[in-house]
Amino acid sequence: MSIQDIRAVPVTGPAMEVPMMPTAVQAGFPSPALDFVHESINLQEHLVYDPPATFIARVSGDSMVGAGISHGDQLLIHKGTRPRDGDVVIAVLDGQFTVKRLRLTGTGVRLEAANPEYPDIEVPELSELSIWGVAYMCLHGLR
Amino acid sequence: MSKHLLALVDVNSFYVSCERAFDPTLEGRPVLVLSNNDGCAVAMSAEAKELGITVGAPWFKLAPNAQRHGLVARSSNYELYGDMSHRFLQVIGEHSHEVEKYSIDEAFAGYGGPLQGAGPWAERIRRDIAERLSLPVGIGVGATKTLAKLANLAAKRVPGMRGVCVWDGLDAEYRDWVMSRLPVQQIWGVGPRSAKKLAAHGVTTAAALRDADAQFVRRLLGVTMMRTVLELRGQPCIQLEEEREFRDSLVFSRSFSTPVSTREIMAQVMASYAQRACTRLNSRSTEAKTLTAWAMTSQFNSAAEDSPSATLSLPAPTNDPVLLTRAAQALLPRMTEGTRYTKAGITLTDLSPRGAQPAFDLFAEPQQDKGIGPLLQQVREKSGTDAIGMGRGGMRTAAEWEMRREMMSPRYTTRWQEMLEVHAR
Ligand SMILES: [Mg+2]
Repeated sequence: MSIQDIRAVPVTGPAMEVPMMPTAVQAGFPSPALDFVHESINLQEHLVYDPPATFIARVSGDSMVGAGISHGDQLLIHKGTRPRDGDVVIAVLDGQFTVKRLRLTGTGVRLEAANPEYPDIEVPELSELSIWGVAYMCLHGLR
Repeated sequence: MSKHLLALVDVNSFYVSCERAFDPTLEGRPVLVLSNNDGCAVAMSAEAKELGITVGAPWFKLAPNAQRHGLVARSSNYELYGDMSHRFLQVIGEHSHEVEKYSIDEAFAGYGGPLQGAGPWAERIRRDIAERLSLPVGIGVGATKTLAKLANLAAKRVPGMRGVCVWDGLDAEYRDWVMSRLPVQQIWGVGPRSAKKLAAHGVTTAAALRDADAQFVRRLLGVTMMRTVLELRGQPCIQLEEEREFRDSLVFSRSFSTPVSTREIMAQVMASYAQRACTRLNSRSTEAKTLTAWAMTSQFNSAAEDSPSATLSLPAPTNDPVLLTRAAQALLPRMTEGTRYTKAGITLTDLSPRGAQPAFDLFAEPQQDKGIGPLLQQVREKSGTDAIGMGRGGMRTAAEWEMRREMMSPRYTTRWQEMLEVHAR
């Protein structure tokens, strides 16, 4: 190991978590194991990009099966992010949280189901829609 | 010129806003959140206030007419509120390096930069919390904590401010006008008793307190109130970290002469310890926000080692023996029947000075106000510690810790089984 970067660590910032390393190192011969000390993969860290604004919800219904979202799956939802064309969003429709695919077309906004049995919903403008959050990942159990 | 300012960020109708964040049907309707056991209103939306409902209103009286008014009640969902409170602090932490949690729905945050930048900075925080958490906040910014609190009141009450008020950005005449209309008891740190003493000397408004002789105020009400005077003049006296001196803990624990091995006896132990811990809280004029009840086996008994504990976040800082006694019972399900416990205790943390949080009255449990605590206290002083007790501490069969919460919304963010449901149809 070589030192590549030296800098001041701010003491006022949030606490940092540091993986535990063996402290007693034999002088003269660095242990090769030191280079491989690492914590197990933390799913939370990799699946949740914005912890305070991330929420999880369970899907009820099969209108989104074509998008790989089935009844009983869990969605990770990022709140407060700007929805883009093609995003799967949680829209508030008649007081209910509803999963749809958002289409921003030249002429207006369309909320699409991903199942031919369900109709699409047309809205003249995005501002008339209440989007609660953007679903960015689907947890789909395989057993 | 660069300035150091403090913001007080406060969620409007916090409990109700948390409920609304996960239930769009509550938007625009009168909503109440009820106390433990669904007894009475502890928080409400602006629409409910407009119906003339006040904190403490008993639910059984409101219920018959609820439907006619479109009034919705929810049992208090402390897990949800606690989790949202944590998220709220995290978001503020992204905007400031100095954040101090003040209560479940209030935090101070430091700002350094030009005065003109303070308004846009506060507005960014307000928008961020609204967009990422669906929580509406009011933000007051001032040179001191006391002024930040005061600006926060203005931010909420003056319609044109739309939730953000930078005290130092207002012109001097306008600030005088606001202060001369603000009753002295609405200032942070001025309790009803102090307000009465001040009124006796003609000090009835914020402006009058600011202009009072600081030494005179010190003689009348002590150094704390003198600091309030100086803070109203823009001189910082109450530092962000000063709160720490109250943040110590209080422990009441004892070893048993005979090991305790049943839940029934442990329930009595917990009730009795909770009430003694209360006595100590009272003698220090403090209130606790968090209670940990714990027990342990002998350190020499490694064969059946067990040290169960349960930590509860109380809805509001309290010194209410009823609430604390009930909270301490949370240990019982964690212990193993038949194990010989040799020591148990109650640790109270998150202590704050009693009455130092006027903005928090809204969340106070009604039975915690005056009433039973001091009464128990008086009896104990006259007749000894064991002369009177509550619940199992009084050796009576008491209500179960399980609270009645019939109208509780799901604990969306803390329980996997209760997560939000979204419809695909
Ligand atoms: Mg509030």
